[in-house]
Amino acid sequence: MKALFLGNVAADTAEGIRAELPPGLEIKIVADPQDLLRSPEAAAASDILISNHWRTEYPPMPQVKLVQSVATGIELFDLAALPPGVRVCNAFGHETAIAEYIVMVWLALHHRLIEISGEFREQASWRTSWVESGAPHGEVRGSTLGIVGYGHVGQEVARRAAPFGVRILAANRTAREAQAGVERVFPLAELDRMLPLCDTVALCTALGPETTGLIDARRLRLMKPTAFLINIARGAVIDEDAVYAALREGTIGGAALDVWWQYPNAAEPRRRGSRHPFHELANVIVTPHNSGWTTGMVRRRWDEIADNIGRCVRGESLINVVATI
Amino acid sequence: MKVLFLGRFAGGHAPRIVARLTTTPDTEILADDTDAARLAPALAEADIVVGLAWRAGFPPAPRLRLLQCIATGVDLMDLAAVPRGVTVCNTLGHEKPIAEYVIMTMLTLTHRLFDSVLSFRAGSWEASLQGGGTRHGELLGQTVGIIGYGGIGREVARRAAPFGVRLLAANRGPVGDAAPVERIYPLAELDRMLPECDVVVIACALAPETQGLIDARRIALMKPGALLINIARGLIVDEAALYAALRDGRLGGAAIDVWWRYPTPAEPQPLPSRFAFHELPNVLMTPHSSSFTEGTAERRLGAMVGNIDAVIRGEKLINVVTTT
Repeated sequence: MKALFLGNVAADTAEGIRAELPPGLEIKIVADPQDLLRSPEAAAASDILISNHWRTEYPPMPQVKLVQSVATGIELFDLAALPPGVRVCNAFGHETAIAEYIVMVWLALHHRLIEISGEFREQASWRTSWVESGAPHGEVRGSTLGIVGYGHVGQEVARRAAPFGVRILAANRTAREAQAGVERVFPLAELDRMLPLCDTVALCTALGPETTGLIDARRLRLMKPTAFLINIARGAVIDEDAVYAALREGTIGGAALDVWWQYPNAAEPRRRGSRHPFHELANVIVTPHNSGWTTGMVRRRWDEIADNIGRCVRGESLINVVATI
Repeated sequence: MKVLFLGRFAGGHAPRIVARLTTTPDTEILADDTDAARLAPALAEADIVVGLAWRAGFPPAPRLRLLQCIATGVDLMDLAAVPRGVTVCNTLGHEKPIAEYVIMTMLTLTHRLFDSVLSFRAGSWEASLQGGGTRHGELLGQTVGIIGYGGIGREVARRAAPFGVRLLAANRGPVGDAAPVERIYPLAELDRMLPECDVVVIACALAPETQGLIDARRIALMKPGALLINIARGLIVDEAALYAALRDGRLGGAAIDVWWRYPTPAEPQPLPSRFAFHELPNVLMTPHSSSFTEGTAERRLGAMVGNIDAVIRGEKLINVVTTT
């Protein structure tokens, strides 16, 4: 059998799991997808594709049986361009790291950590100190956290947030039972009833037709004027123009954004994540899509991917199947 | 009845306290407690003093009944020098916001949040997954050691537990119910706990046995790359030794909320240490603000207001530390 590792992330994965792969599996690494267009035989001969994307213009893969995504989201795969019968699987292992990120920025937004530490470091200002009777900051205790998308990540967030003495609500596309500490899981269709109750809204949902543009101008207005918005899902879940306006004008309190509406490419390696300057807003914590990018996450994810490749080679049932073409 | 707000800290909060009193005592603010000419007459008349410090050599305070500390720690009050029969009270309620601060900074240092934010604000994706940048850490699987398993230490442990960390603690006295901490070391055996920890949280009171507790020798016992979080008092840590360990990268980072230098009337904007912690990228520094949340400030000021009203009405005091 032959496995094709396509793109930078997959190339990294290949190096990381090489020792765990079944003996006899032939490995081809194409780090730059442009090279695939020049050597279509690599695609033609592969039984397994490991990548974060697949595009229509790529050469056909008539033999492929398993398309293993190196990410959880598979929206960069053009599924229509894959042959019938192929199974598409994703990978997890990131939920721990991302849940930690959400709790971190949830606290940092309430405590105004970046502002207070920056002012103290740069200006030796004691303005925000208890001993100087300046302006106190917030705390999460007693506040309401709303989790949109009550899946792997959302549940891990709720488990970690519960001991902080907060009210936790969730919204999910499909019905899910609330775990301990979660007061209620709303159907996603009733999100409008949950939003006005929340001091923080954390977006942990997958990107799909029902969630594209989910947080639009109208829903932003349903949020409290002091509320914080956290997005670790996908940029397109939020209306870019509407959220920028809301943050700039202070119709919501602040945000932590880890996922973006546009990404760098070879031609533009320092391309900003948005056409709006979110990075200039003091009430926004911006990070470059790295909330899950931890050493532990990568190890867990590699283990899952190696496991699935082994299963495919041995003809066993696959894990994390998200689509069968 | 007269209430004296003594020192810069109490003086700053005086308007908020006075505005909420339901009694109408005379009030005086003396922000500079080294001003001897004003201190003697002020103390001579005061029935209640709200302050942070009481020093040996203060002039007589014959009418004093309540010495209300504006903080939790009464370590700046020389209790032996306080007149006989005075009730000393402190303020509480800071455990939960400080525990939030500890978890927040533990995560921030582990995930290297500030590095990500600063480089991304400047336009770089180097810290990202797509950029193939250096991965950051996570709390899962780390060992967290808490020095001082009192109110704050317990609140930290409760919040840290669901992160899948191993929890250890060291405490002066014996501890009845340790959960969720795996093991409590006597403070005298701190040297055995330190090498186990990826994160060390200082949450003990300042006292003779904790002053200078974290010195160069004990810092050397910590794991290379370990994190130190101090929300207790600056003097528990040897300033020079910590600075050197952070500068040289022997410790991975520190979150410091309590300092060796504080504002005085003469110097309202001092650097918080004689060492340049503010130039070290692996230091997360805040100006003694971990507990200064809207909710806590409100509750603490409310408790002090209640005590002042209680003395005037002859009612019972709360948060009594001792009666001299």
